[in-house]
Amino acid sequence: MLLSLIIFLPIFYGLIIWLLPEKATRVTAMTLSGFHFVFSLLILIKFDSATPALQLVEQVPWVPTFGISYFVGVDGISLWLVLLTTFLTPVTILGSWTAIENKVKGFHVAMFALEATMIGTFLAMDAVLFYVFFEASLIPMYFMIGIWGGPRKIYATVKFFIYTMFGSLFMLMALIALMFMTRDMLGGQMSASLLDFYKLDIPFVGGDFLNTQTLLFFAFALAFAIKVPMVPFHTWLPDAHVEAPTPGSVILAGVMLKMGTYGFMRFAMPLFPEAVQYWSWLFMFLAVFGIIYGALVAMVQPDIKKLVAYSSVSHMGYVILGLFAMNSYGMSGGLYQMLNHGISTGALFLMVGMVYEKTHSREISKYGGLAVVAPWYAILFLIVTMSSIAVPMTNGFIGEFLILLGGFQASYAFGVFAVSGVVLGAAYMLWMVKRVFFGAEGELVTKYKSHGLDLGLREMCVMAPLILLIFWMGIFPNHFLKFTEASVQHLLNNKNNYELTIKQDVPEKTFFAKAKSDRSVATEEN
Amino acid sequence: MDIQFELLDLLLVSPVLVLFLASIIPLTMKVLSGNRETNTFSTFACGLGGVIAATFLTAANYGIQKTAFQEALRFDGLSFWIQMTVLLVAGATLIFSKESSATNNNQFSEFVFLLLNSAIGMMVVVWANDLMTLFIGIELMSLCLYILIALSSEERLSKEAAFKYFVLGSFASAIMLYGVSFIYGTVNATTIPEITKLAPDLMETNRLFLMGVILTMLGLFFKVSIFPFHAWTPDVYQGAATPLTAFMSTGVKAVSLAFILRFFTMDILLSEHSTPLMNAVEWLAALTILVGNIAAIMQTNFKRMLAYSSVAHSGYVLIGLLAAGVGGEALLGASGVVFYVISYAIMTLGAFGVIGLFETNEDSMIDIDDLKGLAQRSPWVAACISLFMLSLAGIPPTVGFFGKFFIFSAAIKQGFVWLAIWGVIGSVISVYFYLRPIVLMYMYDEEGATVISSKVLTQMAITIAALLILALGIFSEPLYKAVLANMGSLFL
Repeated sequence: MLLSLIIFLPIFYGLIIWLLPEKATRVTAMTLSGFHFVFSLLILIKFDSATPALQLVEQVPWVPTFGISYFVGVDGISLWLVLLTTFLTPVTILGSWTAIENKVKGFHVAMFALEATMIGTFLAMDAVLFYVFFEASLIPMYFMIGIWGGPRKIYATVKFFIYTMFGSLFMLMALIALMFMTRDMLGGQMSASLLDFYKLDIPFVGGDFLNTQTLLFFAFALAFAIKVPMVPFHTWLPDAHVEAPTPGSVILAGVMLKMGTYGFMRFAMPLFPEAVQYWSWLFMFLAVFGIIYGALVAMVQPDIKKLVAYSSVSHMGYVILGLFAMNSYGMSGGLYQMLNHGISTGALFLMVGMVYEKTHSREISKYGGLAVVAPWYAILFLIVTMSSIAVPMTNGFIGEFLILLGGFQASYAFGVFAVSGVVLGAAYMLWMVKRVFFGAEGELVTKYKSHGLDLGLREMCVMAPLILLIFWMGIFPNHFLKFTEASVQHLLNNKNNYELTIKQDVPEKTFFAKAKSDRSVATEEN
Repeated sequence: MDIQFELLDLLLVSPVLVLFLASIIPLTMKVLSGNRETNTFSTFACGLGGVIAATFLTAANYGIQKTAFQEALRFDGLSFWIQMTVLLVAGATLIFSKESSATNNNQFSEFVFLLLNSAIGMMVVVWANDLMTLFIGIELMSLCLYILIALSSEERLSKEAAFKYFVLGSFASAIMLYGVSFIYGTVNATTIPEITKLAPDLMETNRLFLMGVILTMLGLFFKVSIFPFHAWTPDVYQGAATPLTAFMSTGVKAVSLAFILRFFTMDILLSEHSTPLMNAVEWLAALTILVGNIAAIMQTNFKRMLAYSSVAHSGYVLIGLLAAGVGGEALLGASGVVFYVISYAIMTLGAFGVIGLFETNEDSMIDIDDLKGLAQRSPWVAACISLFMLSLAGIPPTVGFFGKFFIFSAAIKQGFVWLAIWGVIGSVISVYFYLRPIVLMYMYDEEGATVISSKVLTQMAITIAALLILALGIFSEPLYKAVLANMGSLFL
């Protein structure tokens, strides 16, 4: 019941918001999403980090004729992504307090719909259910960019929608093919359950592209590569980010991109081990290419938001590199980096949004000397930048370090090039910081400095949890990694015949049952 | 000749009898009251009452597997579901036409009479167990439609549409009849069971039979606007009064597709020699999807856009029909087709119903651009339109997604993988124009067409359609299972 509540309560919150008057929207949304985050921490309490098995499972038949069920469960791979979603939602709602001025109600309804579908994507253990959430999450994001976005919002949102849908429809084809395969395996009954998919033995021929496993793998990989996005499928991302309103960017970068990398970990790697092994060079190459390409393109962007968007391309390249390194360092690092990226890039987008709200411009060349008039803003921005460029003590360091270790272990060549990306990353971020915060006072700063460019109390409250997490995750990575370790190890140790079991919960004895058993023990003793 | 039939036969066709009765009463009343349209509401109520009664009578025949009238009619799962669809369509059309200025005029009684008789023709088509019965059904359906389209008092477009539809439709009917004569010449029978028995052999040995099959198929393809017989669709759909467009695009399509399904299950695609024929049909499906979707992108008129999108949807269904026609797990294909047709009927009715909401008089032409800023003016209608569009595009969690899912899974299972991929690419293209109304409604703030608030019944019908789309999208299993359970007899 817990997981279903975590998925569907946001829909209910959306309804509440819809029914309440518009004046109360922000406060209600903030309260409900904050409550939902606290509520979702229950998973953490109930979660058993010692086992890789699927936990808190719920399974109800949905379309039994096709073996489709409503099947949700959580394990080490999805745990933190769910919490990341529930964490970022209230932060974003608070962050968009003044950024969203029109259709406030609709915006928050979309936000909650987005939260529900994203959590659903991470928790679904049935392939069709996963697909449904994966696709459905496009709809609120489509509205979010299209209604509250910038001047080229329509171009951006339609491109975003069609591009991502294009990939996922191929995934749908592959899903259907896999479902028919399970039917042959299970003797007549189709199944869309991932656990049954994992048991499949899909024929693979190396060196030949036209074989079942390779084709299915690429059908999935296309969907996820577009979502991540990997170069050369990244062109929708800068458009979407630049045009999206700040909260849209935060959620897009913070959570939605992770659906792609999560998909690789959940579907592509365990289902098609030989194909992944065989083609890992291609993905590592594209990942490293993306790291460097993203960094170089980010460097020359005149627009801060676009710069951050391209830095996303670069950072997601690290995640892919880590995953496809197929070793323990790489994979834990990849998973960790997903969270880091969610927090640090989310924070960057929020901070860019904060200053944009006041000056209505994101052009780097118009800033300069901002640190003097907005010291707090500068300090926090610098901390987030440090996290983004992986300075030790921040979360980014742990992630990138593990990924690079994994990358070197897998291949020196890729490792070397990936490291150069770290340098480039530091270069473009610090250069941007220098141009925006230091040096001579820019025209915008002069114009708006009397308006108070520094952070207000609300903005401080938005940033505080993010900054806290940046250091917490950077200094005590084990607090987080220990939950994922079992699942990652399990995936690596059994990569060629991965299977996932459902953790059988020992039913907790109720008070009466306990009393009864005590009594029976007592009678026996007598 | 001595014609005999049992009482049960009459019970089976009772929906048609009731419909006919309901259609004739208002007309008689009108004649008796001096050819004046006194009370359109009672006419409407009478028609709707007939449809509801027919629905109950149909529901009473649920699960029956029988032939009637010397095997001229056949009642099975396919006919049951499509019959229900036709009644749903007829009911919705009555509601739309009651509140449409193009139809609710001093000829409303005639309109209802023709509409219900067209629906009767549709039912005869789905019941047809004999190619001659089929022809009679198709003609009854079409003749009523020709007049219905021309009946509108609007000046030019509807006359052009009616004439175009009439000329081309007659031509197609003639070709079909020509094909039937070839089939009769070779099989010496026109009943489907007889043809089914001989079809696989004749496909190999007899070119005339092949000719007959092809010509009959072409006639049917015209009715469902498969490329290259689709050219009439946009003009006719645009010219006809909107309620009629809704009726044609769902009703005519549903029954014709259902009959093509019956036709394909005559084992004509099973023999070795039918491979070229099958390839040709595959290509027609692919081209229909492509042409429909590409042409829809370029439309500015809402009805024309939906017309081209309906062409594309015929293409998707044709994939399912192929999957149902090649043996093996044909049942998957057949039930996929029926599910798709039902879901398509619901969403298309909704979409055309919405257009009716904006029409102030019979000359109204609703462009897609007129929807600009609708979300501000009538948020509920805008939400419904979005739902219809998303469903037509096949995006979860709407029923359109499961429709496509069932069709494509049948196609993959039956070895039409390339068609499934093609269909998927078509869906991606279609997303572009299905999103456009949503973009205009939500992302612009300009003034445009307004919803006419007095059309209460239409608004209710649209709301029901929207809720059905969501409900069936989330719980598609009961309907699919019910369809699946009844389709087996098709392949006996």
